Amino acid sequence: MMMPNFLIFSNFLSLAELEVGRHFYWDLGGFSLHGQVFLTSWFVIGLLVIATVLAGRDRKQIPTGLQNFMEYVLEFIRDLAKNQLGEKEYRPWVPFIGTLFLFIFVSNWSGALIPWKFIELPEGELAAPTGDINTTVALALLVSLAYFYAGFKKRGLGYFSKYVEPTPILLPIAILEDFTKPLSLSFRLFGNILADELVVAVLVLLVPLFIPIPVMMLGLFTSAIQALVFATLAGAYIHEALEGHGDDDH
Amino acid sequence: MFDFDATLPLMAIQFLILVVLLDKLFYTPFGKTLDDRSEYVRSRRLTAQERLDSSKKLAEQYEAELVDARKEGQSIVATAQAEAQKVASAEIAEAQQVAQRQREAAQQEIDQQKQTAMAALDQQVDQLSNQIVEKLLTAA
Repeated sequence: MMMPNFLIFSNFLSLAELEVGRHFYWDLGGFSLHGQVFLTSWFVIGLLVIATVLAGRDRKQIPTGLQNFMEYVLEFIRDLAKNQLGEKEYRPWVPFIGTLFLFIFVSNWSGALIPWKFIELPEGELAAPTGDINTTVALALLVSLAYFYAGFKKRGLGYFSKYVEPTPILLPIAILEDFTKPLSLSFRLFGNILADELVVAVLVLLVPLFIPIPVMMLGLFTSAIQALVFATLAGAYIHEALEGHGDDDH
Repeated sequence: MFDFDATLPLMAIQFLILVVLLDKLFYTPFGKTLDDRSEYVRSRRLTAQERLDSSKKLAEQYEAELVDARKEGQSIVATAQAEAQKVASAEIAEAQQVAQRQREAAQQEIDQQKQTAMAALDQQVDQLSNQIVEKLLTAA
């Protein structure tokens, strides 16, 4: 699926080429991979790891600089998990929910802030890893696995009782929910990020200066919100699996 | 656009590795730092509260002791004053007695000397009168 070629412009606006659906394919033992997604995701992972290593080198009782910032980040993530899962249950889920938030947030913002397009690839172009459906579906499926794991671990086979509570009439809908949850999670993130990148690209194509800036700011905002929404919903789903539909102390 | 391939499972595995990595590098150590700090602050607050309470109690105790001491001081002053008063009046009375006695002794001495003086005077008067009588008699 390719956008129409704006051949006249693309001579002097090589930044503004739209290459949706074209990928920089790698071949791994007969399986094809989207290379550009991995490249940017490695950048994101590297950034996160380097930031935590730098901040954690010499942790002091009274934090300064990067340590202070990372502690603020951790407190934010803990609050997020605590709000969704409750004081009692949230601790073991902080790494999962926190990493979801950090990975998606840094991915989204790297896509919006870093001019990846200056780096030439043989085919396709570098963009936020979360703008690729494979990434978002992978994350959403992990969330599904996580809440099934949480439910079975907490309540054993009693977890299935949530499908027939409060009434068995809702059984089909309850089962359907297990499919709609990852679907909505993945498509919401994918759609938002890809759409944002497309809007910015199209605007840059049409008016290269100043006009796209408000849209870019909006893109930064939605990117942050999407990361928050994904992590919050993951927490909410896990909490639902832990508590079940029966006892309502949300 | 909806082009699923081996990117999906590899991305999932990669993400799980990131979760483990960040857990080791970030969540566990930084969480420990945060927990330790809040524990430290909590314990410091607790001890500070305890010290405040004990110092308040001590202040109250000292206040009570101060009141007692003031009362005791007042009573000591009062007894001392009474005693001093007693001593002073006794000494005054004694001094008055001594003075009285001395005055009486002086009076006695004066009286005695007056008597002796009177006696001497009488003698002299007698003598003189005798002489006068003699002189008159011889002259006559």
